[in-house]
Amino acid sequence: MAILWGVFGIDMNVGLDAFIRLNIVVLVMTIVVMFLIYLERKFVGRIQMRLGPMRTGPYGTLQSFADAIKLLTKEDLRPATADSLLFELAPFVTFVPVFMTLLALPFTAEWGVRDLQLGLFYIVAVSGVNTLGFIMAGWASDNKYALIGAMRAAAQLISYEIPLILAVLAVSMVAGSLNLRDITLTQRNVPAIVYQPLPFFILLTAAIAELGRRPFDIPIGESEVVGGPWVEYSGIRWSIIFALGEYAAMFGLAVLGSLIFLGGWEWPFGTDAGWGLQLFLIASKTMFMILILMWIGATFPRLRIDQLMAFCWKILLPFAFLQVAANAIVLVYVDDVTAARAVMGVISVALLVAMGWVIYQVTKQPSREERLGAMASLRSTT
Amino acid sequence: MIGVLKSLGATFGTMLRNPVTIEYPTVHRKVPERDRAFPILLWDYDIDEPFCTGCHACERACPVECMTVTMKDNPKYAEGKSKRRKIIDQFFIDYGRCMRCNICVEVCNFDAIAMNNTWAGHELSTEDRKDLVLDLDQLLSMHKTNDPDTRIKPWVPS
Repeated sequence: MAILWGVFGIDMNVGLDAFIRLNIVVLVMTIVVMFLIYLERKFVGRIQMRLGPMRTGPYGTLQSFADAIKLLTKEDLRPATADSLLFELAPFVTFVPVFMTLLALPFTAEWGVRDLQLGLFYIVAVSGVNTLGFIMAGWASDNKYALIGAMRAAAQLISYEIPLILAVLAVSMVAGSLNLRDITLTQRNVPAIVYQPLPFFILLTAAIAELGRRPFDIPIGESEVVGGPWVEYSGIRWSIIFALGEYAAMFGLAVLGSLIFLGGWEWPFGTDAGWGLQLFLIASKTMFMILILMWIGATFPRLRIDQLMAFCWKILLPFAFLQVAANAIVLVYVDDVTAARAVMGVISVALLVAMGWVIYQVTKQPSREERLGAMASLRSTT
Repeated sequence: MIGVLKSLGATFGTMLRNPVTIEYPTVHRKVPERDRAFPILLWDYDIDEPFCTGCHACERACPVECMTVTMKDNPKYAEGKSKRRKIIDQFFIDYGRCMRCNICVEVCNFDAIAMNNTWAGHELSTEDRKDLVLDLDQLLSMHKTNDPDTRIKPWVPS
């Protein structure tokens, strides 16, 4: 406990302080990742009317440890024709940016690794780097599937970066800050999801795509590109990418989403509630986000790459721009904070409904009469 | 768009239902009465001897020839305790060859053989094929137990 209190308040060497905070984050991240792997297997199991892991430990709680031991003791394979330097660096290039995003997140009002003034900008900038890891892995593996997967990953991750950034930008405009702590503090009474539902939806969708999770797991689709950029990886390298990278990224994005949209540790009890309650609040909101991601992942089949791209560029992006523009106009012309938020909320709900309508029109199947009519007209012309 | 919401509702509803998984090695599903595992011999508790007279009917009918049967004179017939003049001497069934076709049960004139309808008849894995050849004592032991509750209740065609 003494170490914890030192980190929380007492004067300390800056380097030592950062070191201890980093270690706490690494520890928490590892535990969270292990828990998330267990949770996902259990949750998806229940959705498919299975039990999930039950044998390793009581109710299968030690499954993640069994997985970890199995992965770490596996042989570390590398193709003979692989570009060895890039091949070995790629997992780290994928994972390190994910870890770096965790450093700017305020987990409670007082506690984060570093409270950055441009925290949101930093997170967006850093999380864009792991696309490079996908490309490196795909190139270095000397494997067609890996290269195709890497190209798909690059296209998908770069495309969905833009709606994601615009969604968080819309909220940071309302808060008037890029500091995550300040953004969360502005949600004392009302979480941002109430007056920015459309950006929340966009963030959720873009987060699934950024994480490469079902239904947007096109880069790593097992039935198409047999694991994408990670075809040739095994053992510890694969576990760095998959177990650590993917689930830590999910954790980081869920914390980010809960801070920006769900009020984080601020709503509904305020900053004075003490760090225990704050931790509980942020943990439960993060868990809510993660469960939604897993729920969506367990429900939908994989999309086609052109559908994915069309959804991003033709639907998410215009509506994200519209929301940002609407926010800007409202913030300039409406001075009262409550009134401005009310107007933005109405606009955002209207845009959300409009987006739903557009998606409905685009994906609508022709009715039976229409199909029969088309058939009849075809027959009459021939 | 509506289908998306519907499918989310469907998975959520499914999540709330009970899992259908049966944790097999620890929990066994109840097998039906006419479940066909491997054939076993039945024990005549009234006279305290096997029903089987060693008539070779099942051995001749067996499509995969997994049975070996020999008969002998029944000592209890000589004593006047039993009506069976002949009784089974040795009986081997190779469970490795048996294809569980039920023909031996159909042809038996004395209802002396039945298919094992318990889980014990299914969980017979061994490390050696020789252990799958069961002799008379082993074949009788599954029905010849002192506890009537654990004794298998054979289904024999009438």
